Amino acid sequence: MQANLSRHLLGHTLALLISASVAVAVALYARSATGLLAAAFTGFGVLVTALAWAQAVLRARETREQDEFEELKRKRADAALFTASDETFRARRSRIFFERWGVPAFVVLLFLAQGGAAYALWRGLDRLPPLLTDRATLAMAFFGMLGLLGLLGFLLGKYAAGLARDERHRMLRPSASHLLLGALLFTLAITTEAVAWLGYARVDALVARALTILLGLVALENGVNLLLEIYRPRGQRGELRLLYESRLLGLLSQPGGLISTAAQALDYQFGFKVSETWFYCWLENALAWLILLQAGVFWLATALVVVEPHEEALVERFGRRLAARGALQPGLHLKWPWPIETTRIVSTREARSFNIGFIPDPKLEAQRTLLWTKPHYKEEFNLLVASREQGDEAAAGNAAEASVPVNLLTVSIPVQFRITNALDWTYRHADPATLLERLGTREAAHYLVSVDMEDIMASGRRRAAEELRERIQQRASEDRLGVEILFVGLQDIHPPVQVADAYESVIGATQERETKIHEAHGYRAERVPLAHAEAARRVSEAGAARTAKMARSAGTAGMFTNQLAAHAASPGVYQRRAYLDAIVAATAGARKYVLTTTNVQQDFWLNLEDKLRPDLLDVPVAPVAPDSKKP
Amino acid sequence: MKRNSAVLIVGALCALVVGLVLFTFQVRQTEVAVVTTFGRFNRAITEPGLYARWFWPVQKVYRFDNRLQNFERKFEQTTTADGRNLIVTVFAAWRVENARTFLERFPNGDLTRAEQSLEGLVRDAKNGVIGQHRFNELISTNRAKVKLRDIEQEMLAVVRSRAGTNYGVAVDILGVKQLGLPESITSKVFERMRADRQRLVKQFQSEGEAEAIRIRSEADRQRQEALARADAEAMVIRGQGEAEAAKSFAVFERNPDLAVFLIELNALAGSLKDRSTLVFDPQTPPFTLLKGLPAEHSMKAPVLTSATNTTSRTVKP
Repeated sequence: MQANLSRHLLGHTLALLISASVAVAVALYARSATGLLAAAFTGFGVLVTALAWAQAVLRARETREQDEFEELKRKRADAALFTASDETFRARRSRIFFERWGVPAFVVLLFLAQGGAAYALWRGLDRLPPLLTDRATLAMAFFGMLGLLGLLGFLLGKYAAGLARDERHRMLRPSASHLLLGALLFTLAITTEAVAWLGYARVDALVARALTILLGLVALENGVNLLLEIYRPRGQRGELRLLYESRLLGLLSQPGGLISTAAQALDYQFGFKVSETWFYCWLENALAWLILLQAGVFWLATALVVVEPHEEALVERFGRRLAARGALQPGLHLKWPWPIETTRIVSTREARSFNIGFIPDPKLEAQRTLLWTKPHYKEEFNLLVASREQGDEAAAGNAAEASVPVNLLTVSIPVQFRITNALDWTYRHADPATLLERLGTREAAHYLVSVDMEDIMASGRRRAAEELRERIQQRASEDRLGVEILFVGLQDIHPPVQVADAYESVIGATQERETKIHEAHGYRAERVPLAHAEAARRVSEAGAARTAKMARSAGTAGMFTNQLAAHAASPGVYQRRAYLDAIVAATAGARKYVLTTTNVQQDFWLNLEDKLRPDLLDVPVAPVAPDSKKP
Repeated sequence: MKRNSAVLIVGALCALVVGLVLFTFQVRQTEVAVVTTFGRFNRAITEPGLYARWFWPVQKVYRFDNRLQNFERKFEQTTTADGRNLIVTVFAAWRVENARTFLERFPNGDLTRAEQSLEGLVRDAKNGVIGQHRFNELISTNRAKVKLRDIEQEMLAVVRSRAGTNYGVAVDILGVKQLGLPESITSKVFERMRADRQRLVKQFQSEGEAEAIRIRSEADRQRQEALARADAEAMVIRGQGEAEAAKSFAVFERNPDLAVFLIELNALAGSLKDRSTLVFDPQTPPFTLLKGLPAEHSMKAPVLTSATNTTSRTVKP
């Protein structure tokens, strides 16, 4: 019986090994992620089944050993010679050692391998190239064959699972689960291939991701089993514990078991046979139909198309566009269900945009101040701009000798557009958005090489934006992109960051120039009016002097007339009186010396030079009263 | 029984799906397809729709996107006819024109390989065509001289003829997307741009200085002129004063000696103002009184003569 069990397990191992190897090759060839996951599950199945086989072989040897021992004991009455010792049951000791150490060690390794594989697949699925639909047929054929192998395994497994209800054949359960699971996964792989062939290649990746999660859960289950095993009370000797058996996979591969388990649980909970009520029986019978109905409803739902406000939809029947239906406008529409009719939804009313000359950087977007001297985008391209110097040099005929006669300029031009012709946008171009961006960049480059940098940076900006918009629109129309260019903005146009400071210093210099001119104007505004005022003052002073002179001379003349009369009355006295009055009045404040000696040389000396330094004679004296006399 | 019919329906549906997958194929609006029978070309399908076929491995269907694909490569350095270095990015848009040739040239219709091959053609055409044009045909402020469009058309003509015959591909668009300069030249251009700006800085600074000097000197000139005019006018006015004053002096003619005496006396009084130091001898009246009371005749002596006899010494500081 045990030998029979080992043969079964060996067969299962080989079947799973073949399935796993072929599945890996086919999955890699057709780039089927689901196939790869199916292969992974089958591969772990090989390991589990091989272990079960080893355990079965050891148990078979133990049984044989026990039988031989019993036989010998019966033949020899003298039992003393054949007392049971450790040496006697070598096979049993091997089995016990294997089950105590080998199996847990294997489960640890299995846990690590399954966990590692789940992690690696989770990380790696994104990088997997998409499924190749042109290899789908081959892949489906091979997966079909593996499915048949799985089906065979399924039958064998069913038989084995039937056997396994017998406690001695419980060892078949893990391998049966894996065989059934293999059949299921290969069917799933065929389904994803078929779906991909019908145009939904992404389903493959989604299914693979779900299977990766399942693999992780199975690894987790193994880990938990291992922990429980450590704290499990040790039972009677020889009790069969299948540490490596996954209940999760068992449930998946035998859903019937799940239902009967659920029914038993319900019976137990309610205290009567719920599983025998008419409703439960009806539900059990109708379940398949209900699932089928659900799938049918799901399929019919593919006949409905909901077009959002910014979209239009194009209907294709067996891939051919239905021109008669035109583009479906926003709202609910009916079509034949998939795969007879499919739709392409194009977001035609949405305003889209792209950028010329720079790649935006979300981090730098937050900057509140944009300066020429600091980069404000992730990447800014230097575009060539003609310079007028170049034109002059070329005219002079020495262009070849001149230095590189161009300037570099950094521009950032956001362009906004919307799709006006969904047919052209969808059916003429594989990647129209990128093409439009390239066309736009080309037009910007072409425009800049024919304008002068100074012009475009100053007054030509708005004109340039309008001309660029017209050019891009014209190109897009010529190349039938089916778009309308809504807006082209020269939002930023400046010299590259490396020379921006030099340009700023020019602006500084113009300010300096204006400052100097303003200062000079200020000087003029101050000097000229003051000069006019000074001139007026001088003229009016002269006028005053004239008037004073005239008045004074008139006064002198009038006084002289009167003096004449006084003089005529007594000429001598008048003169002396006038003389003395004048001397007294004039010398009132003067220092006077009277020399009484007579022997003096008559000498008049009038010193008109400025005094160089004060001396004793310069001491001021108080005015003397007219009657005081000096010695 | 019910369950069996459900299984039957599901089985039939599965069989239908597998049958459809094995014996039919769709060509979408955006595709062209080539069908091969045991590897031998059978037919090319350019119209979309549902088509019948034999299952794999008897017949095999290859589908290609029939829309315009576009690609570009990075900057590449090239030289113009007048020996200028330049970096040019070119993009191209192409589509599968002859599906059979395309499949034969690129096994399984590998788009990446096709674009690599086309890139070679484009690079060759680009370098060849740009090498025949001068730098100022690419960049100039004179729009009539810029021949970028013609250059693109020349490249397109070269690429189109070769791609059509060699690869079964139609190249519809070819454009010079970007022009640039090699790194070393870029730094030189920056230096030149910087020097140009420095020139402007100096120009603006000296312009400001010059203008300021002009304005200041103009202001000074206006000031000088205004003052000179005022001085001239003042002198005339003062002269008028002199002339008017002289008219009053006619009265002096009635006794010129007395007038001169009074004028001199006035001048003497004026000259003795401020801090003078006077040294008199006793002959000077009224200090003659210091010698005692004068004789009666001496009082009668004319003042003018006695004044001439007066000896005095005047010291002006």
